[in-house]
Amino acid sequence: MIRSKLFGLLLLSLALAGAPALTPSHHLSLSDVGRLQNLLNQPYTDLESAYYSVVGLTKLGAAVPNPAEVCQFLKSQLDPSSVDSLFFAAETSQAISGCEIPVSNETRDILLAAVSEDSSVSQIHRAVGALSALGLPLASQEVVGALTARINKEDNVMAIISALQTASCLSQQAELGGILEEIEDLTARLDDLGGIYLQFEEGLEATALFVAAAYGLSDHVDMEPPLKEDQVIQLVNSIFSKKSWDSLSEAFSVASAAAALSNNRFHVPVIVSAQGPATVSHNQPTLQLLVTDVMSQPLASANVMVESAYAVASKSVVLNQAPFTHNDGIFELNFMSSQPASGYYQFTVGVAGDTRLVANHVELKVKVSTEVAITNMDLSVVDKDQSIGTKTTRVQYPSKAKSSFTADSHQNFAMSFQLVDVNNDQELTPHQTFVRLHNQKTGQEVVFVAEPDSKNLYKFELDTADRKSEFDSMSGTYSLYLIVGDATLENPILWNVADVVLKFADEEAPAAAQPKTLYVPKPEIQHLFREPEKKPPTVVSNTFTALVLSPLLLLLILWFKLGANISNLSFSPSTILFHVGHAAMLGLMYVYWTNLNMFQTLKYLAIIGGVTFLAGNRMLAQKAVKRMEKK
Amino acid sequence: MSNSVVSVISRFLEEYTTTTPNKLKVVDAYLLYILLTGAMQFLYCLLVGTFPFNSFLSGFISSVGSFILGVCLRIQINPQNKGDFLSISPERAFADFLFAHTVLHLVVMNFIG
Repeated sequence: MIRSKLFGLLLLSLALAGAPALTPSHHLSLSDVGRLQNLLNQPYTDLESAYYSVVGLTKLGAAVPNPAEVCQFLKSQLDPSSVDSLFFAAETSQAISGCEIPVSNETRDILLAAVSEDSSVSQIHRAVGALSALGLPLASQEVVGALTARINKEDNVMAIISALQTASCLSQQAELGGILEEIEDLTARLDDLGGIYLQFEEGLEATALFVAAAYGLSDHVDMEPPLKEDQVIQLVNSIFSKKSWDSLSEAFSVASAAAALSNNRFHVPVIVSAQGPATVSHNQPTLQLLVTDVMSQPLASANVMVESAYAVASKSVVLNQAPFTHNDGIFELNFMSSQPASGYYQFTVGVAGDTRLVANHVELKVKVSTEVAITNMDLSVVDKDQSIGTKTTRVQYPSKAKSSFTADSHQNFAMSFQLVDVNNDQELTPHQTFVRLHNQKTGQEVVFVAEPDSKNLYKFELDTADRKSEFDSMSGTYSLYLIVGDATLENPILWNVADVVLKFADEEAPAAAQPKTLYVPKPEIQHLFREPEKKPPTVVSNTFTALVLSPLLLLLILWFKLGANISNLSFSPSTILFHVGHAAMLGLMYVYWTNLNMFQTLKYLAIIGGVTFLAGNRMLAQKAVKRMEKK
Repeated sequence: MSNSVVSVISRFLEEYTTTTPNKLKVVDAYLLYILLTGAMQFLYCLLVGTFPFNSFLSGFISSVGSFILGVCLRIQINPQNKGDFLSISPERAFADFLFAHTVLHLVVMNFIG
């Protein structure tokens, strides 16, 4: 069942290989490997550090300094009753040739006893590792049983990684399928960051150890791990993006991952990079590529080929299936022999020769640079009404025109030239073609752009009357410079072509060009508060207040005339309470106007209103009864 | 023409003073007062201007609202309308009048500024 699942995944990964693949953005350069080795080479004081140091160095392919001393250290520090101590000593001794750790029956019993369902997975791993490193027999099926039982209880990432590492020490006849499936489960637990990184939230060490363990176990059982190409590259990016390591165990995990990724039976990620800048020119016609594994070890058996190369600007294909030649660890291609025009080219480079290679199609941007030459530089002063024939002076680069040109407001100064590629005489249109006029006395300078016409002939015309604002109408002698530049030009040009005397009409007194006072404190802004609205005079307001209040007087008079009275006012408690409550409510209205907000008012109103309502209800009921009695 | 108008008015006033019960006349006096107060406020607004507008609005709405509530009270306590308001006694009408005024004054006070 596992086989069919893996086979399905293999087909899927082959299908995905056609899609534009991710390429590694991080790997261990030679200096990184050196730094890693230096970190691992630190003097150690205990067995665990010795293990990380020695085994890490061997994984990087570096020599272990003073192996005899190391062996002595291991033997002296060994604690035969501790499983961890035995593991570190045994594994380290295996990495050094000619070092044997003495084993007694008690040691063997301790180790075998540690292999049970009651020990943690890491304990089982260390015991099994020690047993296999010391060459002692172990019952693989029992180990598998213990591991499977423990994995169910300890579900964390590090425990499962230890289980994978343990399984790669067991016999191939054992039932390792269940543990092999854990690789897929762990892959699902990786976090995808932006499609570029794939890592465990537990960190770099867990991710690196996972990669080492997964490939170790896959190699051991000879089954391709269920990791897609893109996932492998994302793991590469995560593991090798950190270039300085905090602890020995972290450095060891990165070294293990690097060793696993450069030398396993299934996936070997390829790093293709240009040697120096990816630029070719007439002087340097070969494009040199470094093709290495993740540890910057060159892949000698690789076949590197340009699958296609097209110009970025015109999209025309320049190369198709051109092979690189292998020259002393570097792959070279003479690109200039295809005589490309200057500019940028997009290369798709394919690395073949090994079915294990991953990310072996790389996109590379190559620049072809060239040198520019200025030809047919013609300067002239043209009258605006063109009644007088133009006198054209030709100037050769890099010399300057012998006489200066004079242009006043009735004349235009014109310049035309061509820019050609030195190597193939093709016209060029570089990004920067500027004409700079520099006033020698005041230091003022004005820059214009020279534009090419449809035939790629550059023209520049200075209309003296039109442009006088740019010059601040400052007449005088201006040096004319031509500036030509582009990313693909190897020889940018700054050429003092001629001197031009410009005469402007309405010339102001020549003031020295003042630098703009940009950074001087500006005048303070006085804040204008909102003007209060115009109020009518107090007399008017007072008059109208009296007018508005006067109907009240009228009301009182009318009521008096009608004979309205309060003779019927009975002094029962409810009446008094009602009138008091009502007066209180009116008072509350006034207090609301002056002090309170709506919420407070509603609160007080509820209280007073409740009292007033009850009292009023009682009072009105009494009145109603009285009315009924009267009838 | 003016004759008939004058005679209609004088006849109306006569009938009014004789047939309307005193209680209603008291309420009518109150209504007249409210009307005049509202008219004075409106006059001020026309002559002097609408500043401050919220105060004018609250005062005017108070007058208008009080007038309306007064009219409602008058209708409800008029014995001639007893048939239309069988379930509402004059005391109940007065209580409603007071409650509605409380709400009106709450709003007016909020808006007066």
